Amino acid sequence: MSLRLKGRLQSASGFRLQVDLELPSVGVTALIGASGTGKSTLLRVIAGLERPEGFAVSFNGQRWDALPPHRRPVSMTLQQPALFPHLTVAGNLKAVPGAGRIDEAAARFGLQELLGRKPATLSGGQRQRAALARAYLRPAALWLLDEPLSALDPLARSELAPMLRRLCRALNRPVIYVTHALAEVLQIADHLVIMEAGEVIGAGAPEAVAAALDHPLSPLIDTGGILEAAFESYDSETGLSTLRIGPQRLWVGGDLRGAPSPLRVHIPARDLSLALDRPIRTSILNVLDVTLTGLAPAADGALFAELDCAGQRLCARITRLSQENLGLKPGMTLFALVKSVALDAHSA
Amino acid sequence: MDDGVPTALTLTAALAAVTTLALLLIAPPLAWWLARSRRAFASLVEALVALPLVLPPTVLGFYFLLAMAEDAWLGGAWRALTGQPLAFTFSGLVIASIIYSLPFVSQPLTASFRNTPPELLDAASVMGVGPAVRFLRLMLPLHWRALLAAGVLGFAHTVGEFGIVLMIGGSIPGETRVLSILLFDQVESLDYGSAHFTAGVLLAFSLAALTLTYGVLRRR
Repeated sequence: MSLRLKGRLQSASGFRLQVDLELPSVGVTALIGASGTGKSTLLRVIAGLERPEGFAVSFNGQRWDALPPHRRPVSMTLQQPALFPHLTVAGNLKAVPGAGRIDEAAARFGLQELLGRKPATLSGGQRQRAALARAYLRPAALWLLDEPLSALDPLARSELAPMLRRLCRALNRPVIYVTHALAEVLQIADHLVIMEAGEVIGAGAPEAVAAALDHPLSPLIDTGGILEAAFESYDSETGLSTLRIGPQRLWVGGDLRGAPSPLRVHIPARDLSLALDRPIRTSILNVLDVTLTGLAPAADGALFAELDCAGQRLCARITRLSQENLGLKPGMTLFALVKSVALDAHSA
Repeated sequence: MDDGVPTALTLTAALAAVTTLALLLIAPPLAWWLARSRRAFASLVEALVALPLVLPPTVLGFYFLLAMAEDAWLGGAWRALTGQPLAFTFSGLVIASIIYSLPFVSQPLTASFRNTPPELLDAASVMGVGPAVRFLRLMLPLHWRALLAAGVLGFAHTVGEFGIVLMIGGSIPGETRVLSILLFDQVESLDYGSAHFTAGVLLAFSLAALTLTYGVLRRR
């Protein structure tokens, strides 16, 4: 049971996409990369909107290469909502062949009051919800979401994100979610595929992908590390939740009672600093005991310090000067100062 | 008022209506293909469709006259099919008008179809809508303004046609004597009073049709 993609595509503008990839046909696969890395193009190839010659696409053993997009059992949202401007929201939903449960879809996406409205009178978030409902109505074996939150303002994004996450879990169908923001998919991705310059540079379970990358990514997607943490307690006075990573503690903002466990915590490599001694009298809350396991050069002359934190892998971005000043060598015990922790507190 | 005006008016309206109806069936698929095709062949077809815009109507009329003769291919085929002649008949006028007015219907449609946002075509595809249904159920309603403009332009232009009608239709009352021919006959016979009326009817109709079209196109 899988989605197989193998082939290459060369566009007239010189862009090249080359993949040989097998994706699981269950759960949520997040396709992550900076813009222009070919993730949307890959999604369009899966949907059949692009059909490059010799590009093999097969789903659960079924060859899709020769099928035009409307014959593939695929549902997709495009980067823009792409609602038909001459139709109302209801008209857009009814235009889906085989669409039955329009009331149910409208309720799921909060569109009941908007069914009679034309797209031009809707806000960006409302349009995107209508587009999601339209995609939801197509009977499909595979769901493709192309940057569903990118075009939205922060408020609309915070409204739609939980809806989208609930949907991904409830669909019971494989979802491929394209984004350039790791935080968007951190809590829902079962599988992570990282793309750079038209190629897949890492694929697998999120923790494994983040840890296995020797040279963590282009500067735009800074994985640093994804740690699994368990919720311990919440203090309403400070507004902080305490998480546990092995014997260590981590404090993050927000009430995480009821959040799924284990939680995935994302620490960007550039937001980790290293110290030889445990810093005292600092405003930084989170200091982790780590062991330096290796040093790898980054593209711009900086270094990636690979760290072990209670058996999980982390990565910090430091300058060569810092490495010399501290005399950093693999095997040393260090303290990692965490400047920011990305974690979606609304994931539940 | 000239006795010929009501007859010529009815005939003109019938010719324009039948022609427009036929064009609204022919032109949209043709214009869609022209707007979407990237083949060099499409440029040739587009040029052929546009020819009536630049050719003197007498040139087209001359070729139609030859083709519609009893022993020519078009006239012969029509005779075999219907038992009727084509030259100097209403049917002949309809066929010539369809060709002559085609660019006026097809060009606004092609221009509008070319402006279809590509994401709407993609959206239709990933909704599971095939090309034929996409065109009929989604694209035609989406481009309704262009369809309306094209229809009005085609109708108005057929009403205003003169050179071709003169060449292949002559001036048979009730069969081929449309308003523009009637006006010509009235001026030829120095009946300026009737000519003023006929010319006025044509002018008022054309102005009204164009104002209506531009008015609809202006409204957002």
